[in-house]
Amino acid sequence: MAHRTLSALALLACSAGPAVAAPPAVGERHPDFTLPELATGKPKALADFRGKKVLLIQFASW
Amino acid sequence: MPVWHDTTKQFVKDGKLVLLGVTQEQHQERCRLFAQWKGFEWPILHDPINVLGSSAVPIVLAIDEHGIVRSARPNPKTFEADFVNKTFADDAKNAAADPTPAHPPRFDALKAAAEKGASAPTWRAYGDALALWGGAARASDAVAAYQKAVALDPKDGAAWFRLGATLRRRYDAPARAADDFRAAVAAWGTALDLDPNQYIWRRRIQQYGPRLDKPYPFYDWVPEAEAAIRARGEKPVPLPVRPDGAEIAKPAKAFAGAPGAPANPDPNGKIARDPGAVACEVVTVPAAVKPGDSVRVHLTFRLAPKGTEHWNNEAEPLRVWIDPPAGGATSARLVEAEKLAAATSSEARAVGFEVQVPKDAKGTVRVPAYALYHLCDDDGGLCRLVRLDVTVEVRVK
Repeated sequence: MAHRTLSALALLACSAGPAVAAPPAVGERHPDFTLPELATGKPKALADFRGKKVLLIQFASW
Repeated sequence: MPVWHDTTKQFVKDGKLVLLGVTQEQHQERCRLFAQWKGFEWPILHDPINVLGSSAVPIVLAIDEHGIVRSARPNPKTFEADFVNKTFADDAKNAAADPTPAHPPRFDALKAAAEKGASAPTWRAYGDALALWGGAARASDAVAAYQKAVALDPKDGAAWFRLGATLRRRYDAPARAADDFRAAVAAWGTALDLDPNQYIWRRRIQQYGPRLDKPYPFYDWVPEAEAAIRARGEKPVPLPVRPDGAEIAKPAKAFAGAPGAPANPDPNGKIARDPGAVACEVVTVPAAVKPGDSVRVHLTFRLAPKGTEHWNNEAEPLRVWIDPPAGGATSARLVEAEKLAAATSSEARAVGFEVQVPKDAKGTVRVPAYALYHLCDDDGGLCRLVRLDVTVEVRVK
Protein backbone atom coordinates (compact mmCIF):
# COMPACT_ATOMS: atom_id res chain seq x y z
CA MET A 1 0.00 0.00 0.00
CA ALA A 2 1.40 3.33 -0.96
CA HIS A 3 1.02 6.34 1.26
CA ARG A 4 0.13 9.58 -0.31
CA THR A 5 0.88 13.15 0.52
CA LEU A 6 -1.34 16.10 -0.07
CA SER A 7 0.05 19.55 -0.20
CA ALA A 8 -3.11 21.41 0.73
CA LEU A 9 -2.86 21.81 4.46
CA ALA A 10 -4.98 24.86 5.05
CA LEU A 11 -7.70 24.32 7.60
CA LEU A 12 -11.20 25.64 7.42
CA ALA A 13 -13.13 27.29 10.15
CA CYS A 14 -15.47 24.81 11.71
CA SER A 15 -18.41 24.38 13.97
CA ALA A 16 -19.32 25.30 17.48
CA GLY A 17 -19.30 22.55 20.06
CA PRO A 18 -16.28 20.33 20.47
CA ALA A 19 -14.50 21.91 17.55
CA VAL A 20 -11.36 23.82 16.80
CA ALA A 21 -12.44 27.31 15.80
CA ALA A 22 -9.68 28.21 13.36
CA PRO A 23 -6.56 26.78 11.78
CA PRO A 24 -3.65 27.29 14.13
CA ALA A 25 -0.63 28.98 12.63
CA VAL A 26 2.95 28.53 13.75
CA GLY A 27 3.39 30.67 16.86
CA GLU A 28 -0.24 30.38 17.88
CA ARG A 29 -1.61 28.29 20.66
CA HIS A 30 -3.48 25.30 19.29
CA PRO A 31 -7.17 25.43 20.25
CA ASP A 32 -8.21 22.63 22.50
CA PHE A 33 -10.43 19.82 21.26
CA THR A 34 -11.86 16.62 22.68
CA LEU A 35 -12.55 13.49 20.65
CA PRO A 36 -13.18 9.80 21.37
CA GLU A 37 -10.07 7.66 21.56
CA LEU A 38 -10.13 4.85 19.00
CA ALA A 39 -9.10 2.09 21.36
CA THR A 40 -11.48 2.91 24.21
CA GLY A 41 -14.12 5.34 22.92
CA LYS A 42 -13.32 7.53 25.94
CA PRO A 43 -12.82 11.29 25.63
CA LYS A 44 -9.29 12.53 25.16
CA ALA A 45 -8.41 16.22 24.91
CA LEU A 46 -5.35 17.95 23.55
CA ALA A 47 -5.28 19.81 26.88
CA ASP A 48 -4.71 16.48 28.65
CA PHE A 49 -1.11 16.74 27.42
CA ARG A 50 -0.42 20.33 28.47
CA GLY A 51 3.10 20.57 29.87
CA LYS A 52 4.37 17.99 27.37
CA LYS A 53 5.56 18.30 23.82
CA VAL A 54 3.06 16.83 21.38
CA LEU A 55 3.41 15.73 17.79
CA LEU A 56 -0.15 15.92 16.46
CA ILE A 57 -0.68 13.84 13.34
CA GLN A 58 -3.86 13.79 11.33
CA PHE A 59 -3.76 10.84 8.98
CA ALA A 60 -5.77 8.18 7.18
CA SER A 61 -5.01 4.51 6.77
CA TRP A 62 -5.07 4.67 2.96
CA MET B 1 2.66 7.77 9.42
CA PRO B 2 5.17 4.97 9.88
CA VAL B 3 8.06 7.41 9.43
CA TRP B 4 6.96 9.46 12.42
CA HIS B 5 6.20 6.33 14.40
CA ASP B 6 9.78 5.17 13.90
CA THR B 7 11.36 8.60 14.31
CA THR B 8 9.66 9.34 17.61
CA LYS B 9 9.57 5.90 19.23
CA GLN B 10 12.52 6.56 21.55
CA PHE B 11 11.39 10.09 22.42
CA VAL B 12 8.01 8.72 23.46
CA LYS B 13 9.63 5.95 25.46
CA ASP B 14 11.86 8.50 27.23
CA GLY B 15 8.86 10.66 28.10
CA LYS B 16 10.10 13.55 25.98
CA LEU B 17 7.19 13.55 23.56
CA VAL B 18 3.57 12.54 23.15
CA LEU B 19 2.52 11.24 19.76
CA LEU B 20 -1.17 11.95 19.25
CA GLY B 21 -3.05 10.80 16.16
CA VAL B 22 -6.38 11.91 14.73
CA THR B 23 -8.18 10.11 11.94
CA GLN B 24 -11.20 11.36 10.01
CA GLU B 25 -12.13 7.96 8.58
CA GLN B 26 -15.76 6.89 8.52
CA HIS B 27 -15.18 3.46 10.09
CA GLN B 28 -13.08 3.59 13.22
CA GLU B 29 -12.39 -0.16 13.31
CA ARG B 30 -10.46 0.05 10.06
CA CYS B 31 -8.06 2.59 11.52
CA ARG B 32 -7.74 0.45 14.65
CA LEU B 33 -6.78 -2.47 12.43
CA PHE B 34 -4.25 -0.29 10.62
CA ALA B 35 -2.76 0.85 13.94
CA GLN B 36 -2.58 -2.75 15.15
CA TRP B 37 -0.84 -3.79 11.93
CA LYS B 38 1.72 -1.00 12.16
CA GLY B 39 2.22 -1.37 15.91
CA PHE B 40 1.03 2.17 16.71
CA GLU B 41 0.68 2.22 20.47
CA TRP B 42 0.11 5.95 20.80
CA PRO B 43 -3.39 7.37 21.30
CA ILE B 44 -5.43 7.91 18.14
CA LEU B 45 -8.61 9.97 18.26
CA HIS B 46 -11.57 9.47 15.93
CA ASP B 47 -13.08 12.46 14.15
CA PRO B 48 -15.45 10.93 11.56
CA ILE B 49 -17.38 14.18 11.11
CA ASN B 50 -14.25 16.33 10.83
CA VAL B 51 -14.96 18.73 13.66
CA LEU B 52 -11.32 19.75 13.40
CA GLY B 53 -12.23 21.32 10.09
CA SER B 54 -9.21 19.90 8.29
CA SER B 55 -9.34 20.15 4.54
CA ALA B 56 -6.80 17.41 3.79
CA VAL B 57 -4.49 14.92 5.46
CA PRO B 58 -1.77 14.25 6.41
CA ILE B 59 -1.27 17.17 8.77
CA VAL B 60 1.67 17.11 11.18
CA LEU B 61 1.98 19.76 13.87
CA ALA B 62 4.69 20.05 16.51
CA ILE B 63 3.06 21.57 19.59
CA ASP B 64 5.23 22.66 22.50
CA GLU B 65 4.69 22.27 26.23
CA HIS B 66 2.57 25.43 26.31
CA GLY B 67 0.26 24.22 23.55
CA ILE B 68 1.86 26.49 20.96
CA VAL B 69 2.37 25.28 17.40
CA ARG B 70 6.09 25.41 16.60
CA SER B 71 6.14 23.70 13.24
CA ALA B 72 3.46 22.83 10.69
CA ARG B 73 5.65 20.46 8.70
CA PRO B 74 8.53 19.32 10.88
CA ASN B 75 11.47 17.59 9.31
CA PRO B 76 11.98 14.09 10.73
CA LYS B 77 15.77 14.42 10.27
CA THR B 78 16.08 17.57 12.38
CA PHE B 79 13.08 17.03 14.62
CA GLU B 80 15.10 16.19 17.73
CA ALA B 81 17.29 19.28 17.56
CA ASP B 82 14.58 21.63 16.27
CA PHE B 83 11.86 20.58 18.69
CA VAL B 84 12.36 17.71 21.11
CA ASN B 85 15.50 19.07 22.79
CA LYS B 86 14.44 22.72 22.76
CA THR B 87 12.80 24.62 25.58
CA PHE B 88 10.20 27.09 24.42
CA ALA B 89 8.89 30.26 26.06
CA ASP B 90 5.17 30.81 26.48
CA ASP B 91 5.10 33.54 23.83
CA ALA B 92 1.94 32.68 21.93
CA LYS B 93 0.27 35.46 19.99
CA ASN B 94 -3.12 34.31 21.20
CA ALA B 95 -4.46 33.69 24.67
CA ALA B 96 -4.56 30.36 26.43
CA ALA B 97 -7.16 27.96 25.14
CA ASP B 98 -10.55 27.86 26.76
CA PRO B 99 -11.03 25.10 29.29
CA THR B 100 -12.05 21.83 27.73
CA PRO B 101 -15.85 21.41 27.77
CA ALA B 102 -17.25 18.75 30.03
CA HIS B 103 -17.48 15.31 28.48
CA PRO B 104 -19.71 13.64 27.77
CA PRO B 105 -21.51 16.83 26.74
CA ARG B 106 -24.90 17.69 28.13
CA PHE B 107 -27.18 16.78 25.26
CA ASP B 108 -30.23 18.40 26.87
CA ALA B 109 -28.44 21.72 27.27
CA LEU B 110 -27.22 21.68 23.66
CA LYS B 111 -30.69 20.79 22.44
CA ALA B 112 -32.21 23.62 24.45
CA ALA B 113 -29.61 26.01 23.03
CA ALA B 114 -30.40 24.83 19.50
CA GLU B 115 -34.13 25.29 19.98
CA LYS B 116 -33.60 28.71 21.50
CA GLY B 117 -30.98 29.86 19.01
CA ALA B 118 -32.73 28.37 15.99
CA SER B 119 -29.54 28.77 13.95
CA ALA B 120 -27.50 26.39 11.83
CA PRO B 121 -24.43 26.55 14.14
CA THR B 122 -26.42 25.67 17.26
CA TRP B 123 -28.18 22.75 15.59
CA ARG B 124 -24.88 21.64 14.10
CA ALA B 125 -23.26 21.76 17.54
CA TYR B 126 -26.05 19.60 18.94
CA GLY B 127 -25.61 17.20 16.02
CA ASP B 128 -21.85 17.10 16.60
CA ALA B 129 -22.30 16.13 20.23
CA LEU B 130 -24.77 13.39 19.34
CA ALA B 131 -22.66 12.10 16.45
CA LEU B 132 -19.45 11.91 18.48
CA TRP B 133 -20.76 10.90 21.88
CA GLY B 134 -24.27 9.57 21.46
CA GLY B 135 -23.40 6.23 19.91
CA ALA B 136 -25.51 4.38 17.37
CA ALA B 137 -28.57 4.81 19.59
CA ARG B 138 -28.57 8.59 18.97
CA ALA B 139 -27.70 8.45 15.26
CA SER B 140 -31.25 9.33 14.23
CA ASP B 141 -31.26 12.32 16.60
CA ALA B 142 -27.96 13.45 15.09
CA VAL B 143 -29.40 13.13 11.60
CA ALA B 144 -32.43 15.20 12.63
CA ALA B 145 -30.21 17.89 14.19
CA TYR B 146 -28.08 18.21 11.05
CA GLN B 147 -31.19 18.27 8.88
CA LYS B 148 -32.41 21.26 10.89
CA ALA B 149 -29.00 22.92 10.46
CA VAL B 150 -29.01 22.58 6.67
CA ALA B 151 -32.66 23.65 6.47
CA LEU B 152 -31.74 26.86 8.31
CA ASP B 153 -28.58 27.39 6.26
CA PRO B 154 -28.40 25.40 3.02
CA LYS B 155 -24.87 26.75 2.48
CA ASP B 156 -23.50 25.15 5.65
CA GLY B 157 -21.17 22.67 3.97
CA ALA B 158 -19.87 21.22 7.24
CA ALA B 159 -23.40 20.38 8.33
CA TRP B 160 -24.08 18.71 4.97
CA PHE B 161 -20.91 16.62 5.26
CA ARG B 162 -21.68 15.61 8.84
CA LEU B 163 -25.25 14.78 7.89
CA GLY B 164 -23.83 12.42 5.25
CA ALA B 165 -21.38 10.82 7.66
CA THR B 166 -24.13 10.25 10.21
CA LEU B 167 -26.52 8.82 7.63
CA ARG B 168 -23.84 6.40 6.47
CA ARG B 169 -23.15 5.44 10.08
CA ARG B 170 -26.83 4.66 10.58
CA TYR B 171 -26.83 2.74 7.30
CA ASP B 172 -24.07 0.50 8.68
CA ALA B 173 -26.04 -0.15 11.88
CA PRO B 174 -29.11 -2.34 12.48
CA ALA B 175 -31.30 0.78 12.72
CA ARG B 176 -30.67 1.68 9.07
CA ALA B 177 -33.30 3.29 6.93
CA ALA B 178 -33.54 2.06 3.35
CA ASP B 179 -32.57 5.42 1.88
CA ASP B 180 -29.66 6.22 4.21
CA PHE B 181 -26.76 5.48 1.88
CA ARG B 182 -28.28 7.30 -1.09
CA ALA B 183 -29.10 10.27 1.16
CA ALA B 184 -25.55 10.23 2.56
CA VAL B 185 -24.05 10.40 -0.92
CA ALA B 186 -26.41 13.23 -1.86
CA ALA B 187 -25.45 15.17 1.31
CA TRP B 188 -21.72 14.69 0.66
CA GLY B 189 -22.24 15.86 -2.92
CA THR B 190 -23.99 19.03 -1.73
CA ALA B 191 -21.14 19.70 0.71
CA LEU B 192 -18.51 19.28 -1.98
CA ASP B 193 -20.40 21.51 -4.41
CA LEU B 194 -20.21 24.21 -1.73
CA ASP B 195 -16.46 23.72 -1.23
CA PRO B 196 -14.69 21.72 -3.94
CA ASN B 197 -11.35 22.21 -2.16
CA GLN B 198 -12.39 20.19 0.89
CA TYR B 199 -10.49 16.95 0.43
CA ILE B 200 -11.78 15.25 3.58
CA TRP B 201 -15.26 15.55 2.08
CA ARG B 202 -14.10 14.59 -1.40
CA ARG B 203 -12.38 11.44 -0.15
CA ARG B 204 -15.59 10.25 1.51
CA ILE B 205 -17.34 10.25 -1.87
CA GLN B 206 -14.35 8.78 -3.67
CA GLN B 207 -14.23 5.94 -1.15
CA TYR B 208 -17.48 4.65 -2.63
CA GLY B 209 -17.11 6.13 -6.10
CA PRO B 210 -15.99 5.07 -9.59
CA ARG B 211 -12.44 4.07 -10.47
CA LEU B 212 -11.90 7.08 -12.73
CA ASP B 213 -12.34 9.38 -9.74
CA LYS B 214 -10.22 7.41 -7.28
CA PRO B 215 -6.83 8.69 -6.12
CA TYR B 216 -6.00 5.22 -4.73
CA PRO B 217 -7.70 2.01 -3.60
CA PHE B 218 -8.74 2.96 -0.11
CA TYR B 219 -8.77 -0.33 1.78
CA ASP B 220 -6.84 -2.78 -0.38
CA TRP B 221 -4.38 -3.16 2.51
CA VAL B 222 -6.89 -4.92 4.80
CA PRO B 223 -6.20 -8.58 3.82
CA GLU B 224 -2.43 -8.01 4.00
CA ALA B 225 -2.79 -6.42 7.43
CA GLU B 226 -4.99 -9.22 8.76
CA ALA B 227 -2.60 -11.88 7.48
CA ALA B 228 0.41 -10.15 9.02
CA ILE B 229 -1.34 -9.76 12.37
CA ARG B 230 -2.38 -13.42 12.39
CA ALA B 231 1.19 -14.42 11.52
CA ARG B 232 2.28 -12.62 14.69
CA GLY B 233 -0.12 -14.81 16.65
CA GLU B 234 -2.54 -11.96 17.31
CA LYS B 235 -6.24 -11.63 16.53
CA PRO B 236 -6.96 -8.79 14.07
CA VAL B 237 -9.41 -6.09 15.08
CA PRO B 238 -12.71 -7.35 13.65
CA LEU B 239 -14.35 -5.19 10.98
CA PRO B 240 -18.14 -4.99 11.31
CA VAL B 241 -18.30 -3.49 7.81
CA ARG B 242 -15.79 -5.16 5.53
CA PRO B 243 -14.53 -3.07 2.65
CA ASP B 244 -15.25 -4.45 -0.79
CA GLY B 245 -16.22 -3.31 -4.25
CA ALA B 246 -15.52 0.37 -4.67
CA GLU B 247 -13.61 0.57 -1.41
CA ILE B 248 -10.85 -1.72 -2.69
CA ALA B 249 -11.06 -0.99 -6.43
CA LYS B 250 -7.92 0.29 -8.08
CA PRO B 251 -7.96 3.69 -9.79
CA ALA B 252 -8.23 3.76 -13.58
CA LYS B 253 -7.25 6.37 -16.15
CA ALA B 254 -9.80 5.24 -18.72
CA PHE B 255 -13.21 3.70 -18.40
CA ALA B 256 -12.91 -0.07 -18.70
CA GLY B 257 -15.84 -1.52 -20.53
CA ALA B 258 -17.36 -4.91 -19.92
CA PRO B 259 -14.85 -7.68 -20.58
CA GLY B 260 -15.84 -10.63 -22.78
CA ALA B 261 -19.34 -11.35 -23.93
CA PRO B 262 -21.25 -13.24 -21.25
CA ALA B 263 -24.60 -14.68 -22.19
CA ASN B 264 -27.73 -12.95 -21.00
CA PRO B 265 -29.15 -15.51 -18.55
CA ASP B 266 -32.80 -14.53 -19.12
CA PRO B 267 -32.96 -12.68 -22.45
CA ASN B 268 -36.69 -13.13 -22.89
CA GLY B 269 -37.68 -12.39 -19.33
CA LYS B 270 -39.29 -15.77 -18.74
CA ILE B 271 -38.06 -16.35 -15.19
CA ALA B 272 -40.76 -15.69 -12.59
CA ARG B 273 -40.63 -12.33 -10.89
CA ASP B 274 -39.93 -12.06 -7.18
CA PRO B 275 -43.27 -11.32 -5.50
CA GLY B 276 -41.60 -9.26 -2.77
CA ALA B 277 -39.22 -11.53 -0.90
CA VAL B 278 -36.26 -9.29 -1.67
CA ALA B 279 -35.85 -5.52 -1.94
CA CYS B 280 -33.04 -3.82 -3.83
CA GLU B 281 -31.44 -0.56 -2.73
CA VAL B 282 -29.81 1.41 -5.54
CA VAL B 283 -27.18 4.04 -4.82
CA THR B 284 -25.00 5.85 -7.33
CA VAL B 285 -21.77 7.53 -6.25
CA PRO B 286 -21.49 10.40 -6.82
CA ALA B 287 -25.16 11.33 -6.80
CA ALA B 288 -24.84 13.25 -10.08
CA VAL B 289 -22.21 13.43 -12.83
CA LYS B 290 -21.30 15.51 -15.85
CA PRO B 291 -21.91 14.10 -19.36
CA GLY B 292 -19.26 11.51 -20.22
CA ASP B 293 -18.30 10.87 -16.58
CA SER B 294 -18.82 7.66 -14.66
CA VAL B 295 -20.55 6.59 -11.47
CA ARG B 296 -20.20 3.62 -9.19
CA VAL B 297 -23.49 1.77 -8.75
CA HIS B 298 -24.09 -0.01 -5.45
CA LEU B 299 -26.92 -2.55 -5.45
CA THR B 300 -27.80 -4.06 -2.09
CA PHE B 301 -30.32 -6.89 -1.87
CA ARG B 302 -32.07 -7.52 1.42
CA LEU B 303 -34.60 -10.18 2.32
CA ALA B 304 -37.91 -8.87 3.65
CA PRO B 305 -37.48 -8.51 7.44
CA LYS B 306 -40.53 -10.61 8.31
CA GLY B 307 -40.36 -12.94 5.34
CA THR B 308 -39.94 -16.69 5.49
CA GLU B 309 -37.43 -17.04 2.67
CA HIS B 310 -33.64 -17.33 2.71
CA TRP B 311 -30.86 -17.33 0.15
CA ASN B 312 -30.24 -20.80 -1.26
CA ASN B 313 -26.44 -21.09 -1.22
CA GLU B 314 -26.41 -24.54 -2.76
CA ALA B 315 -27.43 -23.02 -6.08
CA GLU B 316 -25.78 -20.33 -8.24
CA PRO B 317 -24.88 -17.03 -6.59
CA LEU B 318 -27.02 -13.93 -7.00
CA ARG B 319 -26.32 -12.51 -10.46
CA VAL B 320 -27.12 -9.14 -11.98
CA TRP B 321 -27.39 -8.54 -15.71
CA ILE B 322 -26.84 -4.97 -16.87
CA ASP B 323 -27.77 -3.36 -20.19
CA PRO B 324 -25.52 -0.38 -20.97
CA PRO B 325 -27.30 2.86 -21.85
CA ALA B 326 -27.29 3.86 -25.52
CA GLY B 327 -24.11 5.83 -26.17
CA GLY B 328 -22.71 4.91 -22.78
CA ALA B 329 -20.98 1.91 -21.24
CA THR B 330 -20.88 -0.30 -18.16
CA SER B 331 -17.88 -1.93 -16.50
CA ALA B 332 -19.60 -5.32 -16.65
CA ARG B 333 -22.62 -6.97 -18.18
CA LEU B 334 -22.95 -9.70 -15.59
CA VAL B 335 -21.84 -9.43 -11.95
CA GLU B 336 -22.16 -11.91 -9.10
CA ALA B 337 -22.51 -11.49 -5.35
CA GLU B 338 -20.52 -13.53 -2.89
CA LYS B 339 -22.39 -16.29 -1.11
CA LEU B 340 -21.78 -17.96 2.22
CA ALA B 341 -20.74 -21.55 2.81
CA ALA B 342 -23.87 -22.39 4.81
CA ALA B 343 -26.71 -24.01 2.86
CA THR B 344 -29.02 -21.07 3.52
CA SER B 345 -28.46 -17.59 4.91
CA SER B 346 -30.18 -14.24 5.15
CA GLU B 347 -27.44 -11.61 5.01
CA ALA B 348 -27.57 -8.53 2.79
CA ARG B 349 -25.92 -9.12 -0.58
CA ALA B 350 -24.15 -6.42 -2.51
CA VAL B 351 -22.82 -6.04 -6.02
CA GLY B 352 -21.23 -3.07 -7.70
CA PHE B 353 -20.38 -1.90 -11.17
CA GLU B 354 -19.71 1.33 -12.98
CA VAL B 355 -21.64 3.23 -15.60
CA GLN B 356 -20.23 5.79 -18.00
CA VAL B 357 -23.00 8.10 -19.15
CA PRO B 358 -23.08 9.28 -22.79
CA LYS B 359 -21.18 12.45 -23.64
CA ASP B 360 -24.40 14.09 -24.76
CA ALA B 361 -26.43 12.88 -21.78
CA LYS B 362 -28.99 15.19 -20.20
CA GLY B 363 -31.41 14.83 -17.31
CA THR B 364 -31.47 11.23 -16.14
CA VAL B 365 -29.76 8.24 -17.74
CA ARG B 366 -31.61 4.99 -17.10
CA VAL B 367 -29.75 1.69 -16.99
CA PRO B 368 -31.97 -1.40 -17.08
CA ALA B 369 -30.78 -4.37 -15.07
CA TYR B 370 -32.17 -7.42 -13.40
CA ALA B 371 -31.10 -9.78 -10.65
CA LEU B 372 -31.54 -13.54 -10.52
CA TYR B 373 -31.31 -15.38 -7.23
CA HIS B 374 -32.29 -18.62 -5.60
CA LEU B 375 -34.51 -18.59 -2.53
CA CYS B 376 -35.77 -21.29 -0.20
CA ASP B 377 -38.99 -20.92 1.76
CA ASP B 378 -38.73 -21.97 5.41
CA ASP B 379 -42.41 -22.86 5.64
CA GLY B 380 -42.89 -25.15 2.66
CA GLY B 381 -39.28 -25.95 1.90
CA LEU B 382 -39.81 -24.77 -1.67
CA CYS B 383 -36.68 -23.53 -3.42
CA ARG B 384 -36.89 -21.48 -6.61
CA LEU B 385 -35.08 -19.12 -8.94
CA VAL B 386 -36.65 -15.68 -9.25
CA ARG B 387 -35.96 -12.43 -11.04
CA LEU B 388 -36.08 -8.84 -9.83
CA ASP B 389 -36.03 -6.04 -12.41
CA VAL B 390 -34.06 -2.96 -11.39
CA THR B 391 -33.63 0.39 -13.10
CA VAL B 392 -30.55 2.39 -12.18
CA GLU B 393 -31.10 6.10 -12.63
CA VAL B 394 -28.01 8.27 -13.03
CA ARG B 395 -28.61 11.99 -12.66
CA VAL B 396 -26.66 14.17 -15.09
CA LYS B 397 -25.60 17.69 -14.04
